[in-house]
Amino acid sequence: MIGVLQYVAKRVGLYLVVLFIGLTITFFLPRLMPTNPIDGYIGQIQARASGALTAEAIASLRENLEVLYGLKGDLFTQYVSYLERVVLRFDFGPSFSFYPQPVSQIIFGAVPYTLGLLLCSTTIAWILGNLVGLVAGYFHTKRAASVLEIVGILLYPIPYYILAVTVILMLSYVIPIFPLSPSFPVGEMTPQKFGMIIYNSLLPAITLILAGFGWNILSMKALAVSTTEEPYVTYARLKGTSNGTRMLRYVFRNAMLPQVTALALSLGTIFNGALLTEMLFSYPGVGLIMRTAASSGDYNVLYGAITISIIAVATAGLIIDLIYPLIDPRIRHK
Amino acid sequence: MTDVGTPRNETLIVQTFDGKASNPDAQNPLNQYAIWRGFRELGWSFLWEMDTATGESYPELAAGPVEVLNDEHTQFRIKIRPGVYWSDGVEFTVDDLIYTLDTSFKYKDKLTFVARTVNYIKEGSWKKVDDYTLDIETQSPAYDFQTVMGVYTWGSLFVPVPKHVFEPLGDDVVTFKNAPAVTLGPYKIKEFDPNGFWQLWELREDWERSGWGNSGEPKAKYVLYKDFGAEETRALAFVQNQYDVDTFMSPDSIAAAKSRNPAIETFSPTLPYHDMNDACSYGIYFNQLKAPYDEAAVRWALALSIDMQTVGISAVSGQFKASALPMADTPITSPVFYEPLDDFLNNLTLEDGYKPFNPNFGAELIEKLQAQGTPESEIPTGDAVKQSFGAGWWKYDPVEAESLLASVGITKGSDGFYTKPDGSPWMLDFVIPGDWNKVMQRTGFSIADSWRKAGFNVNARQVDNGEFATVQNTNARLDLMVNWSSSCTYNSNWFNSWASFSDAEAYNQPADSNTAIQGNYIRVTDPEIFKIVADSKTMEIGSEPFVENGREIAMKLTEGMQLINLMNIPTTIPTNNTYWTNFPKQSNFYAAPYTWWSSFKKTLLNIEPTGKE
Repeated sequence: MIGVLQYVAKRVGLYLVVLFIGLTITFFLPRLMPTNPIDGYIGQIQARASGALTAEAIASLRENLEVLYGLKGDLFTQYVSYLERVVLRFDFGPSFSFYPQPVSQIIFGAVPYTLGLLLCSTTIAWILGNLVGLVAGYFHTKRAASVLEIVGILLYPIPYYILAVTVILMLSYVIPIFPLSPSFPVGEMTPQKFGMIIYNSLLPAITLILAGFGWNILSMKALAVSTTEEPYVTYARLKGTSNGTRMLRYVFRNAMLPQVTALALSLGTIFNGALLTEMLFSYPGVGLIMRTAASSGDYNVLYGAITISIIAVATAGLIIDLIYPLIDPRIRHK
Repeated sequence: MTDVGTPRNETLIVQTFDGKASNPDAQNPLNQYAIWRGFRELGWSFLWEMDTATGESYPELAAGPVEVLNDEHTQFRIKIRPGVYWSDGVEFTVDDLIYTLDTSFKYKDKLTFVARTVNYIKEGSWKKVDDYTLDIETQSPAYDFQTVMGVYTWGSLFVPVPKHVFEPLGDDVVTFKNAPAVTLGPYKIKEFDPNGFWQLWELREDWERSGWGNSGEPKAKYVLYKDFGAEETRALAFVQNQYDVDTFMSPDSIAAAKSRNPAIETFSPTLPYHDMNDACSYGIYFNQLKAPYDEAAVRWALALSIDMQTVGISAVSGQFKASALPMADTPITSPVFYEPLDDFLNNLTLEDGYKPFNPNFGAELIEKLQAQGTPESEIPTGDAVKQSFGAGWWKYDPVEAESLLASVGITKGSDGFYTKPDGSPWMLDFVIPGDWNKVMQRTGFSIADSWRKAGFNVNARQVDNGEFATVQNTNARLDLMVNWSSSCTYNSNWFNSWASFSDAEAYNQPADSNTAIQGNYIRVTDPEIFKIVADSKTMEIGSEPFVENGREIAMKLTEGMQLINLMNIPTTIPTNNTYWTNFPKQSNFYAAPYTWWSSFKKTLLNIEPTGKE
């Protein structure tokens, strides 16, 4: 029991250290960017005014913005204030580009879309890819299995952008089943509106599944081939177990360990992994928000989105560490 | 039906200028608001609007031109039209103007869209004469009152807010979202996407008593501003007639879309196809405070090393209008600046006797385009050559450039690239936009290529728009960049671009300073220009002496090649005639064709439904 507690305490401690380092880097990294959000904001206002803002007006605006954005004071003061706000209140302040909109409101409005799309598509791609890869790997000597592998070989190297544009072209233009640019319904959620969201999410989901599917086939196939040749599988065969039993209980259980880790890490990175998908499909998720924030030097939005991402990855890692002993008995016995 | 549930034949659908809005429910004009969603064009209304076909300011909420009450041009009387109503049925009166001014000043440290007003108007100076008359003072002599408190080009920084909605909020006006906004225009917000992809406006039943209802009946019952996404999907949606007006689509995508849908049209059927009447022009800005860019010979050498015809062909397929003076060459600026300075350009002579201007630029460009197979029917002829491709540009003459550089000790090294006078390598840090402005990005790369061929070792550095503004504002970060911010001279009022040419500290920092400057982005150092600007501050905008001073500045900037002005900004706005026709075109130029300028009102008054269901 003490051993288990030590194991858990060590992992949780590591988790907290990772979070602290992550938060610190998140604070300092955007400040190393050669972008001043206030300059960007003033530039926008100037452009809208066709350059009509006077020097006095700009100086006054600059001073106000520094106070409003929490950029007054030295870096250390800003850092302490940032840690205190984020850790104690999960408050990232207002967006710089869209003051006074709170960052949390911007991000939490987008999170359900990103989560919904990427959780589902990543999981489906993982399940399908692993099943196909398992069959292709276990029966790797059979010609039919090679055909399955070819699906992975064909899909995996296609750059995501090309794959996505091809799918858009095929399913929205040539055969217009899905909308080119979705319009998500507004107002209170009804079953019909929920259906519309699902419908509008199908096309990006299909591309994500196709893109993730290939890698899962190939990696599971490779793992399954090597596991199939392990002595305990041979022993099981000699015991007279069926193909199905050996494939699922002997090969799959062991081959899936690294795949579970990969799944956990992909789920952890879905917040920022959605960028291209969301841009191409006009999908209202966190990726689009991060893209806008990065280009406009909107530190606070970047903090918020990256912090959530760091927490997600670190938490996924922690959960894997904590449940691994349940999946892999070898760790339990250490 | 549209995908937001309105009849397609009653809905004008417009691609939003800058895509998705991150703050669609921010609709309070006292703060930064979701600016590209139709507010300026359909929702807000301004004291004075701008006729973008002529450059003339005209009254909108105001009953007439502003009345000047004193010789110093600091006291003014504004009369507004009676009978204008907010979208919730309350009458608009001077009380709304007073509340807007009071609130702007009271919360000037917290509101982010009032800086211009509070620095222009004298605090507490406004007095209500009656419900429709307001007297007001400016902080200093103001000859541009109508365009500062109204519209100069694409909107106003002074937007009246409804007192009856805002006043009960007390201090909460500072964070008030105001969604859906109560507005003065003939359209009101019907619905908007909380994710920021679209906003639907509906014509008010009482549009006649709206802010510009006196102009006529807008033709579309609904206007949908929507972001159709990346250019690839936009082009496909455009071909499928899903929307009617685009913004800044690349020439390649337009050509592809046109070939698949004959209802898609460019601004003109002949080259350069696109509208070239934006207020600003693209140019190359130097840090004139830093060696070697502080030498006119170096700046001229860089100008003469740009093969502008090749740049224009490779960057924008020849679809551009060259402009040699430091401003766009448009039907409005041409009679004010370009035509009077035609002789100046043709006779301009450098110190060594060289005449750098090439008046045959357009004709030579046409020859190149013909050689590339451009159909004759799409090539302008006669006077249209000058109107299409500009009055001329600088010669491409690397030999003269080499001679100019040699005069200041810059010579080519053994590697074929120019070296500084001390013999060290000269690397040009040339900042260009990333893909957030594809035309400037491509133009920048082509210019860098041209320079490299002429012997300049160039690092063309793409930056995001946030960094772009920082480079523009920070002396320590700027060597060379493509930019447009100091060339936005839309009509005879050149102050909007050049008022910051002054020796004031706000516009001048040491060459290596990291303190942001607040204007003068081309780093003018010429005291004669400063004097002309200062003298002009007490002149009537548009008066001949004022305009003459503008020409004087333009000549000085050109003689010293203080910026290399390149071309008018090509605004590639294809339209789709399937559901609506009579959009502004070169042959039917009743307004600038921009859906993101408040003059889009004119378009809404002039378009016609085709009747297609």
